[in-house]
Amino acid sequence: MLTVYRHNNLSGYIFLLPLFLFMAGFVLVPVVGTLLNSFYKDVPFLQSEFNGLDNYRSLGGDSSFWQSLRFSLLFVMAAVPLELLLGMVFALVLHKATNSKALLWAAVLIPWAIPSAVSARIWELIYNYNYGLANFVLTKFGLTTEPINWLGGSFSAFWAVTVADVWKTTPFVAIIILAGLQAVPDDFHESAKIDGAGFIRRFFSLTLPLLKPVIVVALLFRTIDSLRVFDVIYVLTGGGPGGATSALSLYGYEYYLIGDFGYASTISVVLFVIAMALSILYVRFSRFERE
Amino acid sequence: MSCLSTCRIEFILATSQPYLYYKCRYINSLWGCMMLFRYISIVIAVCLVLSCGGQKESNLVFTVGGAPAEIDFWEELADEFTAETGIKITVNRQPTDTDQRRQGLVVALKAESSDPDIFLMDVAWVAQMAASGWLLDLEQFGSDGSFSLEPFYRNVIELADRYNNKLIALPVYVDGGLLYYRADLLDRFGYDDPPRTWQELIEQAVRIQAEMQDERADFYGYIWQGAQYEGLICNFLEVAVSGGGGIVNQSGEIEINTEANLEALRMMRAMIADYEISPPNTYTEFTEEEVRVLFQQGKALFERNWPYAYKLHRAENSAVRDKFAIASLPHFEGGRSVATLGGWHIGISRFCDLPDQALEFVRFVTSYETQKKLALNLGWNPGRRDVYDDHEVLNQLPHFAQLQEIFENAYPRPTLPYYTQVSEVMQRYLNSALAGEMTPRDALRKADEEIETIVSRYSQ
Repeated sequence: MLTVYRHNNLSGYIFLLPLFLFMAGFVLVPVVGTLLNSFYKDVPFLQSEFNGLDNYRSLGGDSSFWQSLRFSLLFVMAAVPLELLLGMVFALVLHKATNSKALLWAAVLIPWAIPSAVSARIWELIYNYNYGLANFVLTKFGLTTEPINWLGGSFSAFWAVTVADVWKTTPFVAIIILAGLQAVPDDFHESAKIDGAGFIRRFFSLTLPLLKPVIVVALLFRTIDSLRVFDVIYVLTGGGPGGATSALSLYGYEYYLIGDFGYASTISVVLFVIAMALSILYVRFSRFERE
Repeated sequence: MSCLSTCRIEFILATSQPYLYYKCRYINSLWGCMMLFRYISIVIAVCLVLSCGGQKESNLVFTVGGAPAEIDFWEELADEFTAETGIKITVNRQPTDTDQRRQGLVVALKAESSDPDIFLMDVAWVAQMAASGWLLDLEQFGSDGSFSLEPFYRNVIELADRYNNKLIALPVYVDGGLLYYRADLLDRFGYDDPPRTWQELIEQAVRIQAEMQDERADFYGYIWQGAQYEGLICNFLEVAVSGGGGIVNQSGEIEINTEANLEALRMMRAMIADYEISPPNTYTEFTEEEVRVLFQQGKALFERNWPYAYKLHRAENSAVRDKFAIASLPHFEGGRSVATLGGWHIGISRFCDLPDQALEFVRFVTSYETQKKLALNLGWNPGRRDVYDDHEVLNQLPHFAQLQEIFENAYPRPTLPYYTQVSEVMQRYLNSALAGEMTPRDALRKADEEIETIVSRYSQ
């Protein structure tokens, strides 16, 4: 008995080996490299030298870094709940829909099927001050006399970016939640109905608890993704106005661009640590691990 | 780093897939497709990475970016060069975006790759590349007097192409900011000359804009580049230096927070916020092309742009085809007109495996004939002064006569290896001030503080 078990275990590891090697080559090496690099002064026109935690120290006193960090965290707090809420609504609608399902599917999935950079470009054309769709509609119907400069203030630019991101990624949440909904057997609902539970009651006491693992997965993905948001902002605002929408990833990229690889690595490491910490928190709190 | 979290997700996705798979018949095909797609993309990425380390033969590689038409023309030139000299050369195409072009070069040079051998650099990064020790001294090989620097703009060579007394680049394309104005409108409202001072520009713009807005609501007095990018620094310098300001003070140190700069920034903000002669999206969307298109549609009285816009404004489809003229940018009372020096320079990589042939190519590109071709075909302003007197060129591009004088007085950006770092900070704060997110005074003060840390971090 025992030998068979062991043998199984071993063959399992053998099967996992290619994946592990792949991950080691393409994930572990760059990540460790980035981490090591963050302890160096690595600028092309200076002598490369080990400077310990100097980069982290300068990060602490770097007001633009704090601005970026603040933006990134606020962005997560604004975008993720919205995506979850809308995704839930879409999922319920799709789950209930009996006719015109294909059409609904298409409508929900299209934003997600469009590459981020392209969808950001679309939103750019919506927000554009001179010939954007939003201002065109508003002035056409006499809702405003002056066109609105959507990307011009830190507050409105923040929400402009958030809306663009929510539009794009809500379908992803909807699909995951829908998958969870499909997994709830119908007889659960049947028996609850017989017990006299209404729709609301059934949703909160039955559907939601059963969906919990699925919601956690969606939450995890979306949190990490929106923490690392890059393409939407790069295309839409480039971090403007005045760095107000510069997410951490964008800030790191900026330093990479100007050739300070050490500092750029430091910013990446910080971002990585935050993403890791959040993931661990989620998994802990949701008791996602099968006990 | 993002790679790790992606892979973690990938892993979770892959492992949670069976669970979803057997639970929902409905979506499994979709999940399946998705997974398949992801794995395929990973496999493609791996193949790409592996193919990078492939073939290796000695061959000149010239890396150049820009508009597709421009790169096509470079390819033609390369063929010509091969026909003339028998030296094979490959043109390595880069994107249009300046930042991405630099990034492509920096990564290759940092890795000490033998390709590219030759490349074009924006004048703003020449110093950084030179300080990194990535550029060959063009005068160190070849016989004496291998380059006659006589025909080039002296100020450009001295300010941009020399680093520590080494000639490390040559100008292929010289650039400077100009004022484009609607001669027909100035005429109509009784102004004989374009504005000399900023005050005059504001007065004319306010008055004519008010009159014109009765006809079209989206007409603006003065449009310029105010988005958060390098172009904003060029615009700011043109205003600031024309009133005695600038980035570098008398003793050669970087100092932003000065009265003259404050006056300049306040005026730029006032153009948007108080006089309203520049639209509010100046600081969000206005880069060269946005501005050019608006002026070309006849929606502006004054435009600040580089010389490239001239040829386009003169095109068949332009609404202002024969209605505009160019002039030096205005200045503050008692100051002088300033054009920020821009443009592209050619240099040879220190890791180049065929330096003699590379030098041949540099010579070919900076020759009278090639520079003339670049002017006639692309409307580029040559780095050589003598081409500006060429009859054929002047016939096709009459504004070259005016440009010559403007370039003689072009104002360079500081030749510091860490100039780009300084620029990034300035862009952020100047843009903030234009957007009204902070006062001009605060913006300059904070920019100064942040630049101080940069200087201490990056100076030897």
